[in-house]
Amino acid sequence: MATIRHSLQKEVFDISEEKLIGILNVTKPGKKKKKISFLCAAINKEKPVCAFIHQIKENDKGSLKKKNTWPVFELQVVDGKDENKETAEFDLTFDRVYKWVASSVPEKNSFIQVLWKICCRYLPKQKPQFINISRELLKEDGDKIEGGDIIAPGLDQADTEDESDFCALSEREQIDLERLILKSDSAVSDAEAFAEQLSKDLTMLDGANIHSMMASESQVKALMEMIDAALLEADKIEKRLNNYDEILLYVKDSIEKMAEKNFFIEQTNANNRQLLETVNQLITQLEFPQEYEKFLTNPAFQINNLTPVIEAAKALETVIDAQIPPHLIHLQLHFQAVKDQKKRFERLRSEFSKHLARNLNNLFIYHGNDPGESLSFHAEKLALPRHSNIHNELMPYAPLMHWMRNLDPKAFQKLRQTYSNSMSKLYERDIKIFFDEAKQPIAGGKRLRGSGSSQDIAGMSGVAGKLTSLSHSRTGVGAALLGIEREQWGGELDASERQKFDQIFEQVLSELEPVCLAEQEFCISFFNLLSSSEPKGANTSTASTPGSNTSEESGSNTPSDSSRRHPLKQVSREVRLMMSELFTNLEQQLTSFVNTFYRADSYCCLYIYVRLSEHVLSAEDTGSFLSITFGSCLIQAKRNYDNFMGLQINSIKECRVTKKKCGIIPFVTNFELFAQTGESVFKKSERRGDLDKWYAMLVSCMIDNIPRVAIEHQRTPPEVVKMENYHVLYQLLSQLKLPGLENQRKEAKQRYQEALNAYVTQYFGRPLEKLNLFFDGVQAKVASGVKESEIGYQLAFSKQELRKVIKEYPGKEVKKGLEQLYKKVEKHLSEEGNLLQVVWRAMQEEFIQQYKNTEDLIHRCYPGAMITLDFSIEDILNYFSDIALSH
Amino acid sequence: MSVGKKTPIQPALHKVIMVGSGGVGKSALTLQFMYDEFVEDYEPTKADSYRKKVVLDGEEVQIDILDTAGQEDYAAIRDNYFRSGEGFLCVFSITDDESFQATQEFREQILRVKNDDHIPFLLVGNKADLADKRRVTFEDAKQRSDQWNVPYVETSAKTRANVDKAFFDLARKISSRKYRSEAQEESSPKKSSCCIIL
Ligand SMILES: Nc1nc2c(ncn2[C@@H]2O[C@H](COP(=O)(O)OP(=O)(O)O)[C@@H](O)[C@H]2O)c(=O)[nH]1
Ligand SMILES: [Mg+2]
Repeated sequence: MATIRHSLQKEVFDISEEKLIGILNVTKPGKKKKKISFLCAAINKEKPVCAFIHQIKENDKGSLKKKNTWPVFELQVVDGKDENKETAEFDLTFDRVYKWVASSVPEKNSFIQVLWKICCRYLPKQKPQFINISRELLKEDGDKIEGGDIIAPGLDQADTEDESDFCALSEREQIDLERLILKSDSAVSDAEAFAEQLSKDLTMLDGANIHSMMASESQVKALMEMIDAALLEADKIEKRLNNYDEILLYVKDSIEKMAEKNFFIEQTNANNRQLLETVNQLITQLEFPQEYEKFLTNPAFQINNLTPVIEAAKALETVIDAQIPPHLIHLQLHFQAVKDQKKRFERLRSEFSKHLARNLNNLFIYHGNDPGESLSFHAEKLALPRHSNIHNELMPYAPLMHWMRNLDPKAFQKLRQTYSNSMSKLYERDIKIFFDEAKQPIAGGKRLRGSGSSQDIAGMSGVAGKLTSLSHSRTGVGAALLGIEREQWGGELDASERQKFDQIFEQVLSELEPVCLAEQEFCISFFNLLSSSEPKGANTSTASTPGSNTSEESGSNTPSDSSRRHPLKQVSREVRLMMSELFTNLEQQLTSFVNTFYRADSYCCLYIYVRLSEHVLSAEDTGSFLSITFGSCLIQAKRNYDNFMGLQINSIKECRVTKKKCGIIPFVTNFELFAQTGESVFKKSERRGDLDKWYAMLVSCMIDNIPRVAIEHQRTPPEVVKMENYHVLYQLLSQLKLPGLENQRKEAKQRYQEALNAYVTQYFGRPLEKLNLFFDGVQAKVASGVKESEIGYQLAFSKQELRKVIKEYPGKEVKKGLEQLYKKVEKHLSEEGNLLQVVWRAMQEEFIQQYKNTEDLIHRCYPGAMITLDFSIEDILNYFSDIALSH
Repeated sequence: MSVGKKTPIQPALHKVIMVGSGGVGKSALTLQFMYDEFVEDYEPTKADSYRKKVVLDGEEVQIDILDTAGQEDYAAIRDNYFRSGEGFLCVFSITDDESFQATQEFREQILRVKNDDHIPFLLVGNKADLADKRRVTFEDAKQRSDQWNVPYVETSAKTRANVDKAFFDLARKISSRKYRSEAQEESSPKKSSCCIIL
């Protein structure tokens, strides 16, 4: 409350120069939204003292504002509502009745007390009515007024200051007054005299007052004079200041003018300096030392004397490439000196370019004609000659070549062409000899080239002979195909020759790599092929800045530097083009090499495919000329490989066996060696999958074609063909353990067993054919519902009939039959099939089983007839033993 | 072009028969020798034949193996394939005394059928890896083999211990025996041809 009181005083009442005496927090009764406002009792600080009651509200902005103001003298009734019951409500009646609810009863009471006090003090006569208010509150107040003890602090303050000539007397005055009255004894008795006394005193005092006032007049006068003097002084000073001001105005003007002038001067200076700089720069940029000129106009291209020429050339390049700032271009056109200088440069350039071109041209042609190291010197080991000597000799000219590329692109292109032409001849020769040479060692060390007579012999017996003689008959008889008897294969390479071929092929590939790489690196460095821009017209302002050239050149002097290798990853089209111009016959030679061997021995395509894949897959730079060449060769190799496999498949499908005894079909026999070769070639190759895929196809094709061959064969029963071949195939697959062929292996096994069972059951019955027929009939009857015990009454199966049949098979006959059967089986089965014992063993068991079944049937269908077969199990076993011992 | 040199010379062929009671590991030994694998539960076939090319003392030879169940109802059925054999691996399991006893009968039948006391023959005590289940002592087996005048070898088809040895030893015996008999055969016609010339 105190803070509110304080802020109210400050915000509201200080402004209106009032003093807050009482404050009450109130709301209007009955309103739902309680708007709190303050009722304040205040008195003004001026006289005559007036008391007011204000209603203060907090407006939206949070500041306190008076809402209503009523002078206390308009207050007619203060209604406490109930003097006995405590209630916070009360009414104030001014022009009308205002109803209020105090925030609490005690606050209400103390506010009413304040009102009461105010009324008592300032409106003693026309006090408003205080109704329904506890007597105590008002009475007490009365006492308090008399006692003067407890007064609202505000009111108390107001008392001391303001009451003097208006209101009731203060305590002290009262005491003074009493004292005064006491002084004059007569006061009480003689009022008139007392009054007179008082007026006398008053007059005296007035006089004294006037007197002192008069005394101060002279002093005032003196003060006035002083003020006048001061005014005069001030006037003077002002005048002088005005003077100064005027003067300053002049100065200001001139200073401003000077500043402006100064600025212009500075700008001119700066411009001049800049101009000077620019011109200086232009001059240094276009400065070309006289002493260089002689190196360019009359150059000496001796290899050990190149440095000054290169320096001069670079200097010329620098001035020609000089970056003339764009804003100076028009200037340059006007400067005669610049024009002259440019003309001079141009002259130097073309002159030097001519010299250089002629010289390099000669150099290239000279190196191109160089016989080089003949391959015959490499006789010990197949090798492609390196040309690092040429590279080394040319490398010092690289900066000049770069100069050319930049400053005379036409001549540069021509030179490059010359280089390509002469070097390509060299490489063409090298590569041709290299590949010819590579074909030789496979002929068991015999060389084809040499004296004329031995050439023919070697040609007929060596591989070279095979290479030529077989080239026409790839698909015909003589090719090493699965479906063809090995004896009929042509002169394909044997295992060691293939091994040798593989080695040589690997050597060929790994010899080509360094030579091509060296040439490629040389070309890149020497012709600056990796520079960002293709050579353009000279004098273009976009040419590389001087300085970057030097760094590039210093790098190109060491082409083997490892950091140089990196950019090779993205060999540009330009490089590839150049390489293909240099190695014109490489792809053709390689392809022809590959095809020659493929034709001579189709198995070579396996080696070629794997080796070439290896090299292509391991190539660091897949975009290089060599990689691309290998790549296209690989495509050819893959085609050959697939073609090879396709031919194998076809040969399986077309395979015919014409031998008397079918035995093992060639493709089954051949598959062992085929798979072994495949395994050895593809062992660790990443192309392994390509082989497995074909394995699966080949084996499935074989499984499918065995029955065809079996049916087509005239003499051997199909069951035997199937049994033997599936058996061998099954064994082969078990042994080879080729991945992914488990299903085919199982199928082969199953088909083998089916064929074995079919063969055994089909032939075992032969020795007792009629007996078997008879009992087949019996069984059929039984199956159709005839009782076993009544079979004997069937006409066809009577005891007599049975006896007749049995009689046809006396022991001797049976033995003969078995012997014949054994011979037949021996005739059917092949040695390679290796199944005679397996089959015969099964047949013996089957025979015994059949015997037992027959005995059993006789026993059941002809009980008590005392009929038995003419031979016992013992007899059979003896026959078997005899057969065994008879061979 | 020369085709003649292509014809491969067929390597010598040695026919080996596996004999012994059922379950002693004949098939397991065969498969281990053939394919380097041990099959825990190989379905017992009545008989199957195998062929393998090996290099025996520097010479390439083919070994034919006939693996049979050895449980025929009638011994006489064996006569024929015993007859075809050139050497025998007579197998028992060292964990099974009965199988050891059975070798006696097999031995006798082989001798009878082959009619040859020196027929290449090895007594093989298999499952040597199961040492804790041993029922047949090495000494007993050795004694028997000595009595028969044949080698005794203990093998394990599971660990491959002595598997190659068993087959190679037998093949070697077959080979040397053939060589000897060949030499004998060759000596007589030479004399006769001499006679003709004379
Ligand atoms: N621990 C062990 N088990 C074997 C050995 N040889 C065969 N077996 C097991 O003995 C059982 C019979 O083998 P099997 O070759 O079928 O005997 P077979 O009837 O003589 O052909 C199979 O479960 C084989 O795994 C061996 O050397 N060691
Ligand atoms: Mg078995």
